[in-house]
Amino acid sequence: ATIDAGSGGSTTDKCVYLCGNSLGLQPKRTQTRLNQYLATWATQGVQGHFKPLEGSPLPTWLDADERAAQLIAPIVGASEAEVAVMQTLTANLHLLMSAFYRPDINGKHKIMLESKAFPSDHFAVETQLRHHGLDPSTSMITLTSASSPEDNILTTSEIISAITAHASSTALLLLPGIQYYTGQLLDIPTITAHAHKHSIFVIWDLAHAVGNVPLHLHDWDVDAAAWCSYKYLNGGPGCIAGMFVHSRNSTVTRAITDEKPEEGYTNRLAGWWGNDKRTRFVMANKFHPVKGAAGFQLSNPSVMDITSLSASLELFHEAGGVGRLREKSVRLTAFLEELLLGEEGIVGEEESSLFRIITPRDPEQRGAQLSLMLKPGLLETVMRELEKRAVIVDERRPDVIRVAPAPLYNTFEDCIGFVEAFAAALKVARAERGT
Amino acid sequence: FPPDAKVHRLREAAGCPRQTRAIRSDFNIPTKASLKKRALNGSIPEYGVSQSNGDMDDDAPSIYFVGNSLGAQPKCTRTKLETWVSVGVNGHFTPLESSPLTAWQDMAADCAQQSLDLLGAASPGEVIYMNTLTVNLHLMMASLYRPTEKQHKIIAQWKPFPSDSYAIASHLQWHGLSPSTSLIEIHPDNSQAMSISTEHILRVIDEHADKTALLVLPGIQYYTGQLFDIPRITALAHAAGIPQVGWDLAHAVGNVELSLHDWSVDFAVWCTYKYLNSGPGAIAGMLVYERHHHIAPASSDSDSLGYRHRLAGWYGADKSVRFNMEKEFRPAEGAHGWQVSNPSAVELACVRAALGVFRRTSMRELRDTAVVLTGYFEWFLNGLVEDKVGMGEDVQPAFRIITPGDPLERGLQLSLLLRSGLLGKVSERLAEGGVVVDVRKPDVIRVASVPMYCRFQDVWGSVEVFKKLSKKPDRPHHREAKISQAASRYANTFHCKPLTLRNSS
Repeated sequence: ATIDAGSGGSTTDKCVYLCGNSLGLQPKRTQTRLNQYLATWATQGVQGHFKPLEGSPLPTWLDADERAAQLIAPIVGASEAEVAVMQTLTANLHLLMSAFYRPDINGKHKIMLESKAFPSDHFAVETQLRHHGLDPSTSMITLTSASSPEDNILTTSEIISAITAHASSTALLLLPGIQYYTGQLLDIPTITAHAHKHSIFVIWDLAHAVGNVPLHLHDWDVDAAAWCSYKYLNGGPGCIAGMFVHSRNSTVTRAITDEKPEEGYTNRLAGWWGNDKRTRFVMANKFHPVKGAAGFQLSNPSVMDITSLSASLELFHEAGGVGRLREKSVRLTAFLEELLLGEEGIVGEEESSLFRIITPRDPEQRGAQLSLMLKPGLLETVMRELEKRAVIVDERRPDVIRVAPAPLYNTFEDCIGFVEAFAAALKVARAERGT
Repeated sequence: FPPDAKVHRLREAAGCPRQTRAIRSDFNIPTKASLKKRALNGSIPEYGVSQSNGDMDDDAPSIYFVGNSLGAQPKCTRTKLETWVSVGVNGHFTPLESSPLTAWQDMAADCAQQSLDLLGAASPGEVIYMNTLTVNLHLMMASLYRPTEKQHKIIAQWKPFPSDSYAIASHLQWHGLSPSTSLIEIHPDNSQAMSISTEHILRVIDEHADKTALLVLPGIQYYTGQLFDIPRITALAHAAGIPQVGWDLAHAVGNVELSLHDWSVDFAVWCTYKYLNSGPGAIAGMLVYERHHHIAPASSDSDSLGYRHRLAGWYGADKSVRFNMEKEFRPAEGAHGWQVSNPSAVELACVRAALGVFRRTSMRELRDTAVVLTGYFEWFLNGLVEDKVGMGEDVQPAFRIITPGDPLERGLQLSLLLRSGLLGKVSERLAEGGVVVDVRKPDVIRVASVPMYCRFQDVWGSVEVFKKLSKKPDRPHHREAKISQAASRYANTFHCKPLTLRNSS
């Protein structure tokens, strides 16, 4: 990416963009694919839905969702039938909860989530409870860490204990694969297995995990998951999102001609796009989902968004998949950490005391991102100084900066560039503060 | 229409404003050649630039009568999309000086502002672009369909677009109810009719109102093209005691004039890829009536929520606090408070581009033109029936128009119910003639003469193709003649020997 580098820099110098955890950069291919999509719409009109074009890397529009599912499946470790590219993250959470959260006020009715959940998750849970006439004060459990009261880094055993403690009244657990604020990577398989022992349905919000760390959702026996596509998947701002539904949760055991066919599948908020594709245009009046995650779709998807996302996912495959990217990512983030901890001498001693890294040190407990907690009152100056030096990172007021070297397009030099700028910014902030 | 209206030189004289004609050039309309081509070569058809070395007629734009299924692409869509390259995340917040796009955060609000004439909304606060039609329908039902033991029914049209059926049935199930006890369907007046009279709708409303929590109908029925009397039905439903009345306006927005605020509709949902020309599956729209917007000041001892319950997400929170990561959900004022996630910026750009074209005219002008254009089409088609074109041996006419004849009871679309077995042949011949229509198996074709980019000339041209239905297809030697014509032209152009045709079989 290029940005005005301010004083001294040429306007074609690349900036240091370590903000892929907030908005991933645009693959060059995206523009090509979007142009091809626009050309298809302009020249084919409605035929774009069904007429294949030779030499076009794009599927016909009716098949775009299936093609996108093929591309995303290996990234999350699922079969094609277990994933659907659709809607947005929070809408998908609502759709999953509407299907799988069936509270019994006299039994299991509670939803458990972390106390510092991304607000959207919190609002989604709160309003789902209200739909059922329940009260968050009695049906919502939020997890806080005794061992890490300031940063709320929940250990696996703390989560396990909380699950055990509330097992009899808990119906659903909603957790982030990677916590947005701290960057902590949770132990998805262990937590899921323990929740299952207590018949708790587990939904994972993978916004910060998908495309960042290897996922094996099917093998980990995850019940369901949802994610957005504009962070590490580089789909573009607000790009069409995704969901995973384990095959055992999306079975359809009766045909539409059987008696009470609606008892053969999990009821869900439905729409025509969840019907079997072969009969979808027959315009039958009764909903009967196709089995798999595709049966949770409601509407024909945005072809433009799917095209944008698919363009990016092509790159993931060419790069060798998330596993290979992760190998580089672990080294990249470790290098960033080393530099920040002053071991190369870029960050002076006084500057070192102005921040701490709140992300776990263990590479297995984090993804690409490091969250830096600044001393109070420094954030605004630091961000201003970073921007002056053409460094783009993400701020979480009041005091946190998140830095995410994305393995697909960031380099070790980017890490050096950031830390040099960060050290300079801290110096300025310190001087302004007069300490 | 005067008798000489059947001559193709009839100018758009029947009161069609000049502006609407100029707008046609704002669109990329597939050419006959591009519809036939097999490969994507990235080129956009331009009038006058030959796409093929064959029949010059192929370079002409097709007759594109499927705007009711997928609207044509505005030329400005491409321009609007070029911002994202250069700014990364800062595009979320900072207006770029030379960008035609507002900062992404404000894009949805901007689209709402541009939609006021289209919808007859009182203010942009009533309008939001988000999600897809069916999801928005669910979100509206989650807020406004609040069944009690006494009032739990939903009244809907029999055979609406299936997505609406599925949405309603599954929403009932989410409440632990079932269509068999809680769904009332309005059937056509009798087994011959396809339309449903307003009187009949009102009778059903009267019969079930006291047990009904929600009435949801299509503004324009997708299959027949019937336009329902939205104001009258809404008013009488409310008067009869039905608390919420919602409208699926997928086929109505951008087609007919709407005054949704004055008509007091509780909500409306629509998609943007039909008459709003925003591209396949583009981000959808929703209107929420003002009286649902109220947000009471926060009060610690209040039992009630203080605002309409909804399935929420961070993007529905008040903007000033959205990025503060507060835990307590306080919705933004108005329709924006129903957003859940941040919307797709490129999608909003496409909608904004398309809405910009509407700003060059008005719904009044478009509707005025459409009434005449569709009337012209209907007049021609009726003429074909009178002339017994395509009539079968059993003296059955080739088709009948199942859309109401009264322009006030329809939009711009006409639905033709073909005689059984004709559909394949008709759509094939139309396609050969470069006329694109929508096919609803087994027997219906829908034609949408969209005034923004269809002309009287197109209607005339398509009718000429219809007329040929009763004729036999081009005989082989006729085809050969055309091919050899093309071959000669090729030879002349590239200074080579004329090709020798092999046997055309």
